[in-house]
Amino acid sequence: MDRNQITKWLKSPGKMAHKYSLHAVYFCTGCGIIEIPPVITTRWDAERFGIIPVATPRQGNLFMITGYVALKTLKAIIRTYEQMPDPKYTVGFGSCPINGGMYWDSYNTIKHLDKYIPVDGWIAGCMPRPEAVFIGVTHLWTLIDKGMADGYLRYRKNYAAYRRNQEMVLGELDWPPLYPAAGETEEVTQ
Amino acid sequence: MIPSLQKSLESTFNDVRVTAPDDSRMSVFAPKDSIPIVLRYLKDNGLDHLALVSCVDWNEEGKLEVVYILSCYMRNNTEYTSWQRVHVSLRTKVPRDNPELRSVIDIFENAEPYEREIHELFGVHFAGHPRLTPLFLERNYEIPPFRKDFDTRKYVEDTFGSIPSVES
Repeated sequence: MDRNQITKWLKSPGKMAHKYSLHAVYFCTGCGIIEIPPVITTRWDAERFGIIPVATPRQGNLFMITGYVALKTLKAIIRTYEQMPDPKYTVGFGSCPINGGMYWDSYNTIKHLDKYIPVDGWIAGCMPRPEAVFIGVTHLWTLIDKGMADGYLRYRKNYAAYRRNQEMVLGELDWPPLYPAAGETEEVTQ
Repeated sequence: MIPSLQKSLESTFNDVRVTAPDDSRMSVFAPKDSIPIVLRYLKDNGLDHLALVSCVDWNEEGKLEVVYILSCYMRNNTEYTSWQRVHVSLRTKVPRDNPELRSVIDIFENAEPYEREIHELFGVHFAGHPRLTPLFLERNYEIPPFRKDFDTRKYVEDTFGSIPSVES
């Protein structure tokens, strides 16, 4: 352990624990997932950074969307995201979740992922190199340190707006709202 | 294999048009009603592998062209050598406003997902198909999205562009 960080550990052990135990959900979307096996295996050993992939979303707290998001995938992404326990961090990987990328005029892919679920950080590129994943992770550490990786709080706060967007693009959703109806009257203030 | 097959096809059916640019490829054009019988004939003559069912939208002509791509497995074909692969495409055209074909699942069972896909993306109806339910798409499209008159950019603008950002 880094000696310089002892004060941080003493001050906010919870944050430090979240930082160094990012459990990534094995959710493979699009072509970006091809960069993840080298990241988690020996060449760019992701466990140096405390990241390990986990089997189910109920054990994970890092959600990487690694490529274009088709409508069918969006449904799975929402369900997976809502199953993850708090705190959870979402990272968009590659240019397709950012603004559509090369699928900007496709009839079946959503263009902006952050209209449907909150996203804490983006890794731009098509494809990003594995090094970019680690740069993204260290940025995420900074965000967690400063309390800015608050996607799960924003999701709770703006749930009505997120749910409305999800229903606009997917039609009637066949699962009940995650948060109770009291939040539904809450409007977006920003 | 191809020259003899071309001769026998032309002598058996009077409504097919066969072109064979070389000894390894052949294109058979048949009217839509004789697709099952021609396909069965080709299957009985050694082309026992349906590689793909595809579709082309000829917008100006007002036709949809359904293409069955056939080849053969090595075990049944004594003439097969590594330098002579056989590619046969069977084509037919159906009118764009009422595209209907007979399903060929009883001849090639693996045509089932291809026909479902073409039904979904081009709107061709395959009579006799057991389940023409959606395969890939989540939304209902007024025009099947792979047709030429489907305006992708306008659709994207209307559908995804109209969704507001949650946090600016």
